Amino acid sequence: MKHEIAELLPFYANETLDAADRARVEAELAICASCTAELDELRALSGALLTRAADASDGSTAASRALDAALARINTTPVAAATTTLRTAWWGTPARYAAAAALVVGFSGAALAAWHAREVASNAQPAAVAGSARAGDATLVYRVTPGPNTAKVQVRAAAPLAAASNATTSQAKEAAPPQSVAQQHRLAKKARLELIVRNVEDALKAAQRTVRNAGGEVASLADSSPYTGGAVHDASLQVEVPADRLDDTLDHLGLLGTVQNRAIDAEDVDATIVDEEARLRNLRRAEADLRALMDKGGKVADILSVQRNLSDVRGQIEQLDAQHVHDLHRVATSTIAITFTEDRPTGTPAKPGPSARIDGAWHGGLNALADTAVALLSAIVWWVAYSPVPLAFAALAYGATRAISRLRAIAP
Amino acid sequence: MTDAEDRALIERIARRDRVAFETFFGMHGSGVHRFVRDLVRDDGLAEELTSDVMVEVWRSAGKFGGRSRVRTWVFGIAHHKAIDALRRRRTPSVPLDELLGVPSGDESPEDAALRAADGRRLEAALASLSADHRAVLELTFVGGFSQKEIAEIVDCPVATVKTRAFYAKQRLRDALATAEPLR
Repeated sequence: MKHEIAELLPFYANETLDAADRARVEAELAICASCTAELDELRALSGALLTRAADASDGSTAASRALDAALARINTTPVAAATTTLRTAWWGTPARYAAAAALVVGFSGAALAAWHAREVASNAQPAAVAGSARAGDATLVYRVTPGPNTAKVQVRAAAPLAAASNATTSQAKEAAPPQSVAQQHRLAKKARLELIVRNVEDALKAAQRTVRNAGGEVASLADSSPYTGGAVHDASLQVEVPADRLDDTLDHLGLLGTVQNRAIDAEDVDATIVDEEARLRNLRRAEADLRALMDKGGKVADILSVQRNLSDVRGQIEQLDAQHVHDLHRVATSTIAITFTEDRPTGTPAKPGPSARIDGAWHGGLNALADTAVALLSAIVWWVAYSPVPLAFAALAYGATRAISRLRAIAP
Repeated sequence: MTDAEDRALIERIARRDRVAFETFFGMHGSGVHRFVRDLVRDDGLAEELTSDVMVEVWRSAGKFGGRSRVRTWVFGIAHHKAIDALRRRRTPSVPLDELLGVPSGDESPEDAALRAADGRRLEAALASLSADHRAVLELTFVGGFSQKEIAEIVDCPVATVKTRAFYAKQRLRDALATAEPLR
C-alpha cells in the first residue's frame, strides 16, 4: 500500500475527497488488497466513533446547560460586545469621525441652548430658574438661587425613593421562605406570557425547544400565518412543564422577545387533595368490608344487594382516583400559555392631508425666517458688544504706524 | 442543517438576534460540546468551554468572513479554546468513567477486524491518544470534515492533517489491540 494512498483513505471513508483524489484512491483500491482491508478498518472505526457519539446522551443536556450559561453571559455584556465590533469593523474610522462630528454638532447645540437659556434667564424670576440646575451647570453664567421651592421638590423626590426602598425590603422579607410555603400548600400553577418577537416562526421553534429541554411538552399550538399584507403574524402556544422548572422556563422564554405581559396564577389545591385522599381511604375501607360480606355468603338477595353496593363503591373509587391523579398532575406540572406577536405596527400612520402639509410648510418657513432674523440680529449685537477688543487692537496698530512714520520723518 | 441555513443564522446572530443564537446552538451545541470534551476529557471543563465558544460566536459573528463553512469556523474556535485550556491546565487528564452502551452484537467481518465492539475499550484506547490525535479522529469520522477544513480548524498545514489522521488511526488500532479485554 502506497503511503500517500493510506493518508487519503480516512478522507475517502468520510467522503470528503475531491474528484481527482477519489479517482486515485479508487484506482488503487481496485488492485491493492491491503488498501481494501485498511478501508474496512477505517469504516469500522468510523462506525464505532459515531455510535460512541450517539451514545453520549448526556452531551445534549450538557450542551443546553452551556447554552443557558452563554445566554446569561451575553445578556449581561451586550454593550461590551457592541464596542468590540465597532473597534474592529472596517468602517471603524469613518464611524469615529462621525462620532466626532456629532460631538461637535452637539456641543454647538449646547452652546446655542446656553445662549438661549441666558436670554430666558435675564427675563425670568431667579426662583423660577432654580429648577433647571443643568442649564445652570452648562452655561456657568447665572447663579442658581435656591428658593424654598427647591427644597420642597427635593423632599418630594426623596420621599417616593424611601417608600420604594421600604417596599423592597418588606417584599424581600415576605419572599424569604418560599420553599416552606410551597411545601405546606400544594399549588397548581398557571402562567401567561405575552411576547413581542421579531420572527414568530423562529420564536415558536425556540420556545418548543426550551420547553422540551425543561422536560415539558406542548399541549396545543395555534399559528395563524397571515397572507394579507396588513395583518400581523401571531401564534399561541400552550405548554406543560414540571412545576420546579416553571420559573427558569419562563425566564428562558422571556429571552425570545420583548415581554409584554407576564402573569402567574397559583391555585391552592392542597385541601382538595387531602379531602380526596380521605374519601378514597374511606371508600376503599367500605369496599373491603363489602368484599368480606360477599365472601361470607348467605341468601341470594343479600349477595345481589351487596354486589350492587360494591359496584357503586368501585365506580366512586375510580372516579375519585382519576380526579386525584389529575389534581396531583396539576401540582406536578405547570401550564404556560404563551402568545407571540410579530414586532410590526398594525398599519402605517395616517398621512396628513395636502392642506395640513401646506399649512405645515408655511409655518415651518415662517419659523425659519424668524430664526434667521434673530440669529442675524444676535450676531450684530454680539459684534457691537465685542467691538472694543478689535477697536483697541486697531487703535494700537494705528498708533504704532503713526509713531514709526514720525520717527522716520525725524531721522535724516 | 445546510451551510446556507447556518450562514443565515450567523448573519442574524451578528445583528444580535438571540433566537437565532439559540437555534444555532440548538443544532450545533452538542457537536461542539462532544468535540471539546474529547479534547479536554473533563466534563465540567468541557461544558464551560462550550459556553465560551458560544459567547465567542455571539461576539464575533460580525467578523465571520464567510471564506469557509460556518461549522468549520465554529469548530476552529472550539479547537482553539480547548487547546488553550489544555495548555493552561497541564495536569493529568481525568478519564471519563461513563458507561458507554455496547454496540450491536452482530459481528460483521469489519467489526471483527477492529474488535472495537466494546465501548469501554474504545474509550480507554482513545484516552491513551494525544489531544491532537483525538481531535483529528473526531473531526474526520464524527464531524465529517475534509482535510482542508480540519487544517483550518486545528490551524496547521494540510500535509500535517493527513499524516496526523494516518498515525492517529494507527495508534488507536495499536491501543485497541493492547487494551485489556473486559470480562
